[in-house]
Amino acid sequence: MNLKEIIQITWLSLLVSGAAVSLAMLVGLPAAVLLYLKKFPGKRLVVSLVNTGMGLPPVVVGLLVAIMFWRSGPLGFLGMMYTPAAMVIAQFIIALPLVVGLSLTALEQVDPEVLLQARALGANAWQTVRVLFRESRMGQLAAIIAAFGGVISEVGAVMMVGGNLKGYTRVLTTAIVQETRMGNLRGAVYLAVILLTLSFFINLFLTSLQRKGVSRWKGPSWK
Amino acid sequence: MERPELEVRNLKVAASGRKILDVSYFDLRKGECLALFGPNGSGKSTFLRIISLLQRPDSGEIYYQGQAVSPENREELRRKIVYLLQKPVFFRGTVHDNLLLGLRFRQVDRAEQQTRLERISGLFNLAPLLGRFPDELSGGERQRVHLARAFILEPEFLYLDEPFNGLDVQFREEIMSDFYRIRKSLGITTILVTHNREEAVNLADRMAVMLSGQIVQAGSLEEISEAPATAEVSRLMGQEALVEGVVEKSDDGLLEIRAHGQSIYAFGKQRKGKRVVLTFRPEEVILAPERPASSVRNWFKVEIKEIRPFERMVLVLMDCGFRLKALVSRTSVEELGLKPGTEIWAGIKATALTTWPGLEEMNSSENENE
Repeated sequence: MNLKEIIQITWLSLLVSGAAVSLAMLVGLPAAVLLYLKKFPGKRLVVSLVNTGMGLPPVVVGLLVAIMFWRSGPLGFLGMMYTPAAMVIAQFIIALPLVVGLSLTALEQVDPEVLLQARALGANAWQTVRVLFRESRMGQLAAIIAAFGGVISEVGAVMMVGGNLKGYTRVLTTAIVQETRMGNLRGAVYLAVILLTLSFFINLFLTSLQRKGVSRWKGPSWK
Repeated sequence: MERPELEVRNLKVAASGRKILDVSYFDLRKGECLALFGPNGSGKSTFLRIISLLQRPDSGEIYYQGQAVSPENREELRRKIVYLLQKPVFFRGTVHDNLLLGLRFRQVDRAEQQTRLERISGLFNLAPLLGRFPDELSGGERQRVHLARAFILEPEFLYLDEPFNGLDVQFREEIMSDFYRIRKSLGITTILVTHNREEAVNLADRMAVMLSGQIVQAGSLEEISEAPATAEVSRLMGQEALVEGVVEKSDDGLLEIRAHGQSIYAFGKQRKGKRVVLTFRPEEVILAPERPASSVRNWFKVEIKEIRPFERMVLVLMDCGFRLKALVSRTSVEELGLKPGTEIWAGIKATALTTWPGLEEMNSSENENE
């Protein structure tokens, strides 16, 4: 395995997991707000499902996505099986319940009186949601850290829907499996170190944002 | 007559089958400060949330400046109102950020934000606090910032939920006087929720009494003090229940009431044989070492049970078969050598006692009304 290949694998890992988590945030954060603010029949059931989803085995997700995108499957005509797009979708499904569940928990930690006071000072619906996120920022970052950590280290689903195609869908985790299988333990260890380092720096970055959040009780003003 | 700034009709709120609010009529006039007075749990905060348009009632109409509140104008009207919760909750950021937040919600331009900030920090003396964080402030400072962030919005309506609660006496007086001065200078129509008589007397032009979700009486402070609508209002206005007894004699309005083996004289309309409750103000009770010759009809030999400070006065709790309270000055306590266990004489004029139908009579008359 040459350096170019390693860089390409690392870059794809970041791209797939980054895209999956970004999509999960795009869908999951508004969903958490709706779950927090709206009362509707079956809400408790939905929350239980989300919580169950937080422990969804990646292999099962991989299987479901594979069934959908299999040539004869309902979405087979899209030709997405064994593509990075399918990997993003699988990781998105893994990340979504983590983002929704943990974000909802963070929102529930906000003192309801803070929201009431914001509205009583004239905040409209959108401004109230912004206050809600600002006040629960640390928890929201924790949700993102957990989701990213969950998907970047996941192997089952990406293996099943990506197929570990060299130069196309091979990511760090599937490459480690591949190298180990081939008896190239040294190569596997190199990749593992890269994965761990990557994971460490991304978490360090997110945690530093979160810590800033702590001191931002004393932080820059609301803009 | 000029139309009230706020009118509320037939407002009803219930939760799990229990009536929380039932206000048939309430109004607020331009520029006035109305004290909404009532015990804890009487529905005052729910009422404020509803008239602040933050919560919808089950039924009823609300009119602001003659305009009925509707889904179309709700948001626009809501921005004319500022409601301050009882507990001062702050948002992330400094005092400066917290003060400006409401203006930012209203998208007031920066130059105007700055002008108002300077004006309000001057009025509330907040300049040294602007760069600090809410968790670094003392209770009094927090309360001042809490009030200031309402005034900075220059609302047409200001609703305050017990804004001076939990402050020590010195801070309270300071903040109350700031509030009075600033409110007057800006002429904001205000509701001040309180269960403190002193606040109502010092700050409000008018008063409404809320009991069990209903406005039982509204009027000037004098009107309510002099002619409370119910025994509960009377008690809220600082009258204490003395004792329940039976009318033994009624002579042209002067009643002789028998209670706990003693005869008590009071004025009232009740007939002989009826049960009555007597109420009084502790400040009307006279204490003397010996029973003096005087025009006071009621004298009781009492034993002092407890002496405790109350605002600037001293509250003396006594027993003479029933409990009696007197509010006297510290000097009187010293001069009379009052201490727990001593026996003295307590007097109260017949005219200082108010008679109310006894509890049984009251319940039966309520049933008749139903």
